[in-house]
Amino acid sequence: MQVLGLNNVSKMYKNGTIAVQQANLSVREGDFVSFVGPSGCGKSTIFRMAAGLSAPTGGEIEILGGSPDEARKSNGIACVFQEATLLPWVSVRDNIALPLQLRKQPRKRQVEEAERVLHLVGLQDYAKALPRELSGGMKMRVSIARALVANPRILFMDEPFGALDEITRQTLQDELLTIRQKTERMTILFVTHNAFEAVYLSNRVMVMTPRPGRIAGEIRIDVPYPRGERFRAHPDFGRYVSEVSESLKH
Amino acid sequence: MNAIRSGKLGRIVPPVVAFVLFVGLWQLIVGQADIPPYMLPKPTDIVASVGDNWRSLLGSVYTTALETVIGFLLSVAGGVLGAILLASSKVIERSVYPYAIVLQTIPIVAVAPIIVIWFDAGLRSIVIIAFLIGFCPMLSNTLIGLNSTDQHLKNLFRLYNASKWQTMWKLRIPAALPYIVGGLKISCSLCVIGAIVGEYVAGVGGGQGGLGYAITYAAMRIQTPYLFACGLMASLLGIAFYQLVNWFSRKLLGSWHESELAPDND
Repeated sequence: MQVLGLNNVSKMYKNGTIAVQQANLSVREGDFVSFVGPSGCGKSTIFRMAAGLSAPTGGEIEILGGSPDEARKSNGIACVFQEATLLPWVSVRDNIALPLQLRKQPRKRQVEEAERVLHLVGLQDYAKALPRELSGGMKMRVSIARALVANPRILFMDEPFGALDEITRQTLQDELLTIRQKTERMTILFVTHNAFEAVYLSNRVMVMTPRPGRIAGEIRIDVPYPRGERFRAHPDFGRYVSEVSESLKH
Repeated sequence: MNAIRSGKLGRIVPPVVAFVLFVGLWQLIVGQADIPPYMLPKPTDIVASVGDNWRSLLGSVYTTALETVIGFLLSVAGGVLGAILLASSKVIERSVYPYAIVLQTIPIVAVAPIIVIWFDAGLRSIVIIAFLIGFCPMLSNTLIGLNSTDQHLKNLFRLYNASKWQTMWKLRIPAALPYIVGGLKISCSLCVIGAIVGEYVAGVGGGQGGLGYAITYAAMRIQTPYLFACGLMASLLGIAFYQLVNWFSRKLLGSWHESELAPDND
């Protein structure tokens, strides 16, 4: 079932910059799609348009059977940004419960759901901690937990591990795949600069090129889930990474 | 020596020593130069004046403190609520904010007599003057804070379909607290000044003269030691008020904001 469709979507800013030009894409339920490309190729712009945070200047976007605004209002989508964007004045639990709080869910449900996803990301001992007491990796886990608390059907992740060291990044990649296994049918769209990360996580890698931003090609990663260190060490991994890197150069 | 350099002693002893040296020199120089008390009293003259007039001095301090606190609380309420209103709508902000700036630029000593004419001499006028002087910093600082919310956080709230009121109450106001506290620290000192200036113009506040009235009275009678004593009390009142606001700031921000976090131990 298609959950996201981009049909000749374009975005031009008032100063004439074409951020995205005629992007076409169809994403099926359960896909893990990575967008790889250099800075300025429109990856984050496509995300913002699909999430209803920015309107396209051309083309159509259909998401979860409706427009991005409708999908946002139906609470079917969630986002994780490169910055953890936590509220520094409230606890980890209340940060995670924020989407439910804004939807005026009962406090009991907020706490129960927050505790559930805290266990999912392994931070159950930090429910009452403040964001300043957490490491960068832990803050990103909280950000992911917050995105998951309302059981979204589509999760947008815009370079969520970009600011982290390699060890933490790989740990969180594995955790993300584990979470994905547990949350059936969730579709993930993931932006990254890192070809290794894109290949490891996704079943589809969209290669984007800049000026203007275009989806230049797609590489399918035909390796089943669950994936782990064995995949990173397998020759196929290197082959896929080379394929993505070569596509980025052309 | 090491105990003095480090810790609490290291913070308290140097300024205390500097103060004692300063007062000692003052006492010595004025005594040796035989300067008359009505020109420059010795510290001992000032202390004697405080001792002789402590009842009326305390009453004056109480009156000024009351005016200051009421004026300050009104300026905080007015400034914060006004800023929330302006931040809710760009149209309202563009229409009204320029006039708030104009209000800030009018010298309070020019406005004070007009306030007294409109509201009669007394507590009410003095409170209004203290309010006017403290209002503008509160409005400006709060408005800057409300408009400085992190764009990523605003996107997050938009993504979760937060209403305008939810975004204001749960995001913009808490995010603006450091700026609001900055406004509080500026306004609290200004309100003390406003109350005293108001007393110069309005005279007796609520039937009991405040420090401004006492200063005017002492100046007219060239009771310079008492004049100094009143100035000292005004300064102590300002310091006490500021320290109270500081304490409140630490309570509000101490757990999460850089400005009030305790430094890490090395």
